[in-house]
Amino acid sequence: MRRMTILLTLSLRNVFRNRRRSLFALATIAMGAMGLFIFMGFNRGLMNQYRANTIRARWGHGQLYVQGYRDRAHARPWEHWIENPSAVMARLRGLPQVLDLFPRLTVSAILIAGENMAAGQGEGIDGAAEAGFFTELNYREGGDFRDRANGIVLGEGLARGLGVHLEEEIRLIVQGGERPPRSVTLRVTGIFHTGSQEFDSRAFRMPLNVAQALVATDRVESIAVALARAEAWPVFAEAVRVSLPHLEAVPFDELDRIYYRHAVDWLDAQFAFIRGIILLVVFLGIFNVISMAVLERTREIGALRANGDGRLAIALGHILEAAVLAILGAALGLATGWALSAGPLHDGVAMPPAPGITRSFRIQIELARGDALQVLSLAVLTAVVGCLLPVWRAVRMPIADALRHV
Amino acid sequence: MSLYDVRAVSYRYAGNGQSVSALVDVDLEVGTAEFLAIAGPSGSGKTTLLNLLGLLHGADRGTIRFDGMDVSTLSERQRTRLRRERIAFIFQSFNLIPVLTAYENVEYVLLACPIPAAERRRRTLAALAAVGIAEQAGQRPQRMSGGQQQRVAIARALVRDVGVVLADEPTAALDQTTGHAVMDLLKRLNRDRGITFIFSTHDPRVLAAADRVVHLTDGRITP
Repeated sequence: MRRMTILLTLSLRNVFRNRRRSLFALATIAMGAMGLFIFMGFNRGLMNQYRANTIRARWGHGQLYVQGYRDRAHARPWEHWIENPSAVMARLRGLPQVLDLFPRLTVSAILIAGENMAAGQGEGIDGAAEAGFFTELNYREGGDFRDRANGIVLGEGLARGLGVHLEEEIRLIVQGGERPPRSVTLRVTGIFHTGSQEFDSRAFRMPLNVAQALVATDRVESIAVALARAEAWPVFAEAVRVSLPHLEAVPFDELDRIYYRHAVDWLDAQFAFIRGIILLVVFLGIFNVISMAVLERTREIGALRANGDGRLAIALGHILEAAVLAILGAALGLATGWALSAGPLHDGVAMPPAPGITRSFRIQIELARGDALQVLSLAVLTAVVGCLLPVWRAVRMPIADALRHV
Repeated sequence: MSLYDVRAVSYRYAGNGQSVSALVDVDLEVGTAEFLAIAGPSGSGKTTLLNLLGLLHGADRGTIRFDGMDVSTLSERQRTRLRRERIAFIFQSFNLIPVLTAYENVEYVLLACPIPAAERRRRTLAALAAVGIAEQAGQRPQRMSGGQQQRVAIARALVRDVGVVLADEPTAALDQTTGHAVMDLLKRLNRDRGITFIFSTHDPRVLAAADRVVHLTDGRITP
């Protein structure tokens, strides 16, 4: 115990033995730790915002389909939709994770406004129910149709293509397989933009009962699910598998695999690369400082070994010193990162539109204790690895050579 | 039986494609509680002989027996242990750890030994008192004079109760008065505690304190 105490004391005092060099090392580690910490917070903020957008604009936390429906194309898809959706939803509402359920039906239609015509893909939804949960559609004009039986909302690109504005009429024509086409006239209550150019140029939403009438069905294609917590999805999915085995619960990141999953993977890979660079800088900083320190203390190390100190004990002292340096530097970096996020970066970072996205946005820096712990651990690990080679070289040096060292 | 029995020992330094003989066929016996000086000019092989006696490295040829043991048969770990338990070093430039106090410098060498904390404290204070610097126990080396630092180094050598102290030019970095005081201290410890002191020097005034002087010239013992 006393040996550890004096080794720690020695390490702590050694850190400040050459103040200028130690300050340089501390600054290097602190900058690295701060950069890593802020970047992790930025990444978390970006992913959380993207996830919230994805969940609250389009998919909910996931959707239910008839088992196998998504696996292949169907000549008569309505025959594979969910029967008696009210009864299904009544059972699902009994699950503790469920916040709300939203029956939906996909409709492919030709939209006509005056002389203009465009193809679109929309959804029949329960407007009144969805208005409370799907809050990220970002209406540029107007808003949800809610209880309006003849309301429709359009994506910004689709509305522009049709040249329509609020309260103007649109005629929808739906081709229902071998059945004759059916049409309905609806009035625009809102024009939204999700940020996805591709989605906004073809998407519309209309009342579910109108969509069902167009397709001549009382079934729904899917039921979107809002949970109390996104993390509860696996439990919910398992409950569905057990109690409603003819249904399949698909999470939002699977439904939005192209955008969300790929974005997560892409950002993770980018983060790993940047983290690698930051850790390399910390590694080189520590390597340099410990190499210089060990070089300066060569005679001292020789004297300790001459007086019976083992290689391991001497190496441990220097490894502890590197760890102390890393802890101090990382603590400084974490504190600076925290101060930055609470001060200049409190309102987030303004970002230009991402590829395929039409609007700029702000990313909040979301710092987490787990990240701080990870940064601290990485700094210590990097510092320890960085000091191993110079320390190993020093303790391997013949004692007589070490004592002669100038 | 002699404490050290050195027979036909030779040692060469090799480097940069060159090879230099540091010791040539050295024979030496050292008895327990001797106060032995190794004298000779710079480059005569004094430090090399002390290094061999301190088990810091092995000889190229010949045998060295320490307390009857042939040290060439010992592993690195065994030599380290033997140094820790039986041999101590004092250096010309003291080689104290500058960030530790005098007390901590002395105590540090006991930390590797299985000694209870109270006993370690007692022995550390006793060693500092024996060399007359108990009052400077809380000071760091850079705040002490050269003589005081060498006394700390001597206390560090004494605290483990070793039987042999090897001192490489222990007074070379000290002024004449301090050097004499340090030699008097070593002589007193030799006399009072029966510790074997082997020290190298080329200062004729220091040699006068020795019981016996071994002269080295170009790596050979000369009469």
